[in-house]
Amino acid sequence: MEDNLENENKLLGKIISKFNVDGRVQRKRRVWVNIDKENLVELCTFIKDEGITHLSAISVTDWIKEGEYEITYHLWSYENKILLTLKTRIDRENPVIQSVQSVWGESAQIHERELYELFGVKFEGNTELSPLFLEDWHGPPPFRKDFDWRAYVREKYYDKENEREKSYFEGG
Amino acid sequence: MEIEQISAHEYEIFFGPAHPGSGNFSVKLKVDGEKIISARADPGYLHRGFEKLMEYRTPIQNAVLSDRICVLEPLAWNLIHAEAVEELLGIDTPERAKYIRVVMAELSRIQSHIIWYGVMSIGMGFDTGFKIAFGYRDYILDLFEMITGGRVYPAGYICPGGVRRDFPKGAKENILKVLDKIDEMIKLEEMENPAFLYRAKGIGVLALTDAQRLGATGPVLRASGMKTDIRKDDPYEVYDGFDFEVPVRKEGDVYARYYVGLEEIKQSIKIVKQALNELPDGDFIVEAFKKPKLNLKIPEGEVYVRNEIARGEAGIHMVSDGGAKPYRVKVRGPSFLHMIPVLEFLLKGAQIADVPAIYWSLNGCPADLDR
Repeated sequence: MEDNLENENKLLGKIISKFNVDGRVQRKRRVWVNIDKENLVELCTFIKDEGITHLSAISVTDWIKEGEYEITYHLWSYENKILLTLKTRIDRENPVIQSVQSVWGESAQIHERELYELFGVKFEGNTELSPLFLEDWHGPPPFRKDFDWRAYVREKYYDKENEREKSYFEGG
Repeated sequence: MEIEQISAHEYEIFFGPAHPGSGNFSVKLKVDGEKIISARADPGYLHRGFEKLMEYRTPIQNAVLSDRICVLEPLAWNLIHAEAVEELLGIDTPERAKYIRVVMAELSRIQSHIIWYGVMSIGMGFDTGFKIAFGYRDYILDLFEMITGGRVYPAGYICPGGVRRDFPKGAKENILKVLDKIDEMIKLEEMENPAFLYRAKGIGVLALTDAQRLGATGPVLRASGMKTDIRKDDPYEVYDGFDFEVPVRKEGDVYARYYVGLEEIKQSIKIVKQALNELPDGDFIVEAFKKPKLNLKIPEGEVYVRNEIARGEAGIHMVSDGGAKPYRVKVRGPSFLHMIPVLEFLLKGAQIADVPAIYWSLNGCPADLDR
């Protein structure tokens, strides 16, 4: 059975005609769009008016070899029943991006607060980026690819006297 | 409870993490007499870093790991993880596996909603409700033990490719027997006594606009008047073939959430019965996955999979760079939104006595919040 992708193509066409971006329809109800970070807030305001009112999640992927972070916004439209995913890349050394809190309110705020803690991405315009999960953590953002938690645990908490830990870390 | 005194009538109290009714989670409340001025959620007691752990492991290992994302409904998380891997691999599971998955996911929803009812009752001082709920939940755990081998954690029963084992002999009859038991429990649940209504009606009201702005999903959103269900709107497995309704209430208070939860148990029973009736014969797992595939490479790509679990919208965003392990996994838990923005919003201005009722009516799970 061939899926009817009319709605998906229509939404993608609307975004492409308004902004200079590229995107694709992955399958029924899934549309992926790559955007520039400069366009982010403007584009989000535009698509929210198009009925995409639910921010499902924000995610960060650490492409360490390319020196870039990829920020991914998963958005759902209750009306059209389409999941639109926006992707944008930012510099890994200076990870700053505009916050979408002004568009999606508190649900965006809390996702961004989490990602600031775990990846160190600064969201400009977010009202609160204080630590969420980690207490008294002074190390680097732990979800970055260059943070090796095994090495960290070994250096910090390895107890040579403890037989069980010894066998885990040194084998035998 | 720790109490820090600021003035004679203004002080801060902790609800949790050692409070018997809070789970591994706490809320810091600033109160003036009996009234809450502001609430601040303090998560992190169960932060295990699944997203990072999964980057170090293969899908076969992650299937088992995905159990632990939520203590109260491991099968639902098993299913989402398996769907994400399958979509990346581009494989389709056998029909029978899809039906078995639906049966397991719905049984998991029923037992989770039963816990919801139980903890909501005890939060309002109705101990009998708690005992009834946990007693009846055990029948479903017995089913899980028979089918998956584990009472609470199925250890990756729903795995990429299908399900780990076929239904054992007599499973169908036993499931139907247990469903009759659950019917019996619903009759007990439906008894509405005035004490319960006083503590539930008009308490913790969440308007629809607020619910959407704060990111509420699932039963919480439905209790505020939005008719939406991922099983209907964004169907996965074989949900589009079943006849069931999406219960909705307009009030948005604790009672509305209780009511939606109760109706959803009835609808889930309907789905399980249909699925068992139509259960096709055939394989329960893709041939290539019958023995765990150890040198499995995930093709390059990324997917976002969403499921309707008992608490609301759950999702996994999986990115692969073509290696044996996923490059990045993002887990979206429904409680993350319900227990931080929604809870903080609802508690502001409430009375101390209503905190447990509001807290439990959101059906939060600290485990899928912290991940």
